[in-house]
Amino acid sequence: MDGKIFHITKEKLKELKKEYEELLNFERSKATSEEAPKILESEDINPEFISFQEDIGFLRSRIDELKNILEHHELIKNPPKEKYSIIDLGAKVKIDVDGQKDEFMIVGTLEANPALGKISNESPVGRALLGHKVGDEVVVSSPIKTTYKIKGIKYEIN
Amino acid sequence: MDKIIKFFTKIGELKTMPRRGWVIRDIKNPESIAEHTFRAAIMVWVLADSRKRNLNMEKLLKMALIHDLCEVYAGDTTPYDSILPKDKKKRRELLKTWPRFSEAEKKGLAAAKYKKEKAGLEKLIKDLSPKLRNEIRSLWLDYEKGLSPEGRFFKHTDRIESFLQAAEYWKTYKNLPQKPYWIQARELHDDPILLEFIEQINKEFHKNIKPKT
Repeated sequence: MDGKIFHITKEKLKELKKEYEELLNFERSKATSEEAPKILESEDINPEFISFQEDIGFLRSRIDELKNILEHHELIKNPPKEKYSIIDLGAKVKIDVDGQKDEFMIVGTLEANPALGKISNESPVGRALLGHKVGDEVVVSSPIKTTYKIKGIKYEIN
Repeated sequence: MDKIIKFFTKIGELKTMPRRGWVIRDIKNPESIAEHTFRAAIMVWVLADSRKRNLNMEKLLKMALIHDLCEVYAGDTTPYDSILPKDKKKRRELLKTWPRFSEAEKKGLAAAKYKKEKAGLEKLIKDLSPKLRNEIRSLWLDYEKGLSPEGRFFKHTDRIESFLQAAEYWKTYKNLPQKPYWIQARELHDDPILLEFIEQINKEFHKNIKPKT
């Protein structure tokens, strides 16, 4: 735990809070030796939690990790309307990368997953896109030049 | 004990399973999955140590060792697989770019890969003791989903091992496109120490000649 602030979306916060509460309940039920923790009977439960059943060390470290995030997070919010045309955290950006179309959402490091189109605001491309508008061309070089043409920006955060 | 031997024999297959990313690029005698795992483990040890961060080294090293075990059954995959042309010329052209997909395609591909690899892992570890089975599964989930600082750090180090290998192969195969690796690196990595390491790779490998593609 290094005191880092986690920039997360409302959706992610909700998901993490739910996981935190479920894991805490699960841990308590393990401590009181209940045979079948109720959360495992729930259809909502992430089936992966079942793997924590006999891995208490992992369960505890995940609970600590979630607690740290929940205590050190900052919610990604929509910018004021006059700044909707500028790329900031939470923006969904339509781009053309060397002639190929793609769409990125700029998120914090915790939610970043380029395979799902979520680019960290701390990555070189994320950093380079911040502050730009539709029509701008952002060049990321070293050692080979790649041009990101910004085609659209929108904010869909609830 | 016979089940343990069967497990060791099965994972031994990774020593001779070539990594698909190099196969589709026509690299001769490419590295195996086990060879990638070996260096990824050493790299995460050295890089995590150098950053003086409070990461659990035992967890990191175990995670590195098990992260690709699922590929014994699931096989290795690349982001190009769903769109890879059979025609060699078209294939070479595609491999000069980083593949782009729609949001729905990204979700579908990621979900299919996860499902296939999870099933592969479950099949592989099914005869191990519950304690080992749960530990391996938890470590793999942590790596896959980036559930902890260790999971997130190793996931990035794993990609950097491949990135370094691409730069090394480029020394021999000057027609091996480097651009997709650089695009991926610039869009993926956000850890300051790993970003600095990438810059060092750039300086080391491209001080005399820069890749053209």
